[in-house]
Amino acid sequence: MDGRESGTNSSGQSTEFMSAWYAKRFLHPDVVAVRNSSISFPSSSRKERREDCSTREPSQQRWKEHAAAEVHGERPRERGVRCDFGIDGPYLRHGDVIITQQLPRLLINRGMCPLPAVTVVNSEIKIDLASSIVRAYVTLKVENIGSSDALEVVLAFSPTQAKSIALIRASTPEGKRKKKTYTPLAVNPTTLPDTPADAQLAFNPNALLEPFPAEISQSESQLVYYRDTAFMLSPYHIKEQTTHIKTPSKKIESYSREDPTNRVGTELRYGPYDDRPPYSFSPIIVHFENNNPFAVVEELTRVIEVSHWGSLQVTEHYKLAHAGARHKGVFSRLLVGPLHSGIFLATLPPRVHSVYYRDEIGNVSTSHLRSDQHKSELEIEPRYPLFGGWKASFVIGYGLPLHDFLFESPDGRRYLNFSFGCPLMETVVDHLTVKVVLPEGSKNPSASVPFPVKQKLETSFSYLDVVGRPTVVLEKENAVPEHNIFFQVSILRLQPSVDARGAAHVSGAFFLLFFSCVAYLHTDLSIRKS
Amino acid sequence: MANSAKPISSPVPQEWYPTLAFFMLAVGLVATASFFIYEATVSKKNRSVLKELSTGAVASVFLGFGSLFLLLSAGVYV
Repeated sequence: MDGRESGTNSSGQSTEFMSAWYAKRFLHPDVVAVRNSSISFPSSSRKERREDCSTREPSQQRWKEHAAAEVHGERPRERGVRCDFGIDGPYLRHGDVIITQQLPRLLINRGMCPLPAVTVVNSEIKIDLASSIVRAYVTLKVENIGSSDALEVVLAFSPTQAKSIALIRASTPEGKRKKKTYTPLAVNPTTLPDTPADAQLAFNPNALLEPFPAEISQSESQLVYYRDTAFMLSPYHIKEQTTHIKTPSKKIESYSREDPTNRVGTELRYGPYDDRPPYSFSPIIVHFENNNPFAVVEELTRVIEVSHWGSLQVTEHYKLAHAGARHKGVFSRLLVGPLHSGIFLATLPPRVHSVYYRDEIGNVSTSHLRSDQHKSELEIEPRYPLFGGWKASFVIGYGLPLHDFLFESPDGRRYLNFSFGCPLMETVVDHLTVKVVLPEGSKNPSASVPFPVKQKLETSFSYLDVVGRPTVVLEKENAVPEHNIFFQVSILRLQPSVDARGAAHVSGAFFLLFFSCVAYLHTDLSIRKS
Repeated sequence: MANSAKPISSPVPQEWYPTLAFFMLAVGLVATASFFIYEATVSKKNRSVLKELSTGAVASVFLGFGSLFLLLSAGVYV
């Protein structure tokens, strides 16, 4: 990164890169896009890779926080350090401009942050565009060329990517088994300073797919843009890199070329490119057909009610939208085109009972439930097929036996293990709220979730409640199916588990009735003395 | 945690809920009936407050638990 200012890179490319780097900061992004690549059709917007701004911060602590936040896919709050942009949500519905005004600060604020002296020997990126969620698998072979131990490897993402990233998982293969680490991936220093190490990274940039044309009629198929860079954006020098992009079908309208580029059936290969300076990029656009319904749940609220009398009741409120190319023209039930949201499949735990599926009008009967020993599958179909831009909202509820999910440990705490995410397959949730309603009298509730969520405590009232039930509320933005893993809520319960308080309150009410009867019969209300 | 944690289930087997509800409510209603019969038949000066209140207490306990089990057997897990 310092090479940019001091010009230590000797290759001619660096000049172009330098001016491009400056240009993209201060000029309109389209200018740079057209100049740098051989895209033959107008690119309405360019997705560029974001520098890891945290490397410019002088303090290592701040960097660690940001990098950790990056890795977990959470969007950091400060806008001063991150290059932030005005896209809302994971889908580039509005298309265009990405770069905004925070960037000049980057140029000024470049302190002497010590970057570990590491080069990337080989990087291979596989991007899977088969569904509506983009999944990228990055394999890095990193070598430490400095004299000191390098404890971290910094990954850089562009602004749009950083905003859309839902989940990053990193692991280092050691021997035959993979060990997963979640924070900045540690390069194993060992005794020699230049031991190459492999690093595998999987992350889901959440749908950086833009439907183009933005509006289609019912029977047309959907074409989307995917914007990326041919060179991996990295703060390190990369010796060799290749990018493979896999599309769902063979129909690719166009793709930008950055030689050597090759296309075989559904797979596009960009590379191998040799010896790229740090922060090099080259925007590419792939325009291909993707007829997957882009099912986005705009808001999902899951309420899990725990009752010690033996059941767990889950109620889920969905607001589902189809975020693909907007539908235009007439809708005809006879002419069902290739792109409409069909059946949604929800995977529920086994031994589920009393499943209902209703919306504001009433019960929706287009559903099927199948269960086996390991899971239950609920197939639901909305009342009407969803085309681009259409929405549906409904409620799904089911009951589960308590002994599958609630456990008691010897130290007296009780643990509830339940899955966090949305049970619908291949859907993205913009805003997910999970509320766990614990029985009355539970003390010290605490939740532990494998990824960062917002937590708070509330009180909710239900049947036979006097003081209210403590409720743990967990919120997450931008959840993908990979977030559908178990989380835990633990409570302390001092008195026995039988919550006979409810019965005691009812008994008390009846006794009050009898007592008032007795009191009435013993009082003399006659006017005349008898 | 998995090997030392034991699953928690209801203290009373769930299959018993409807039966328990029925019998508790039956006993509670019999006690209520006995309370009101006592009030109606025994003359005012022979009534003993203690007997009234104890019958009322027994009736209310059984009615309370009976209605709890009635709610549980109906699926309202309180």
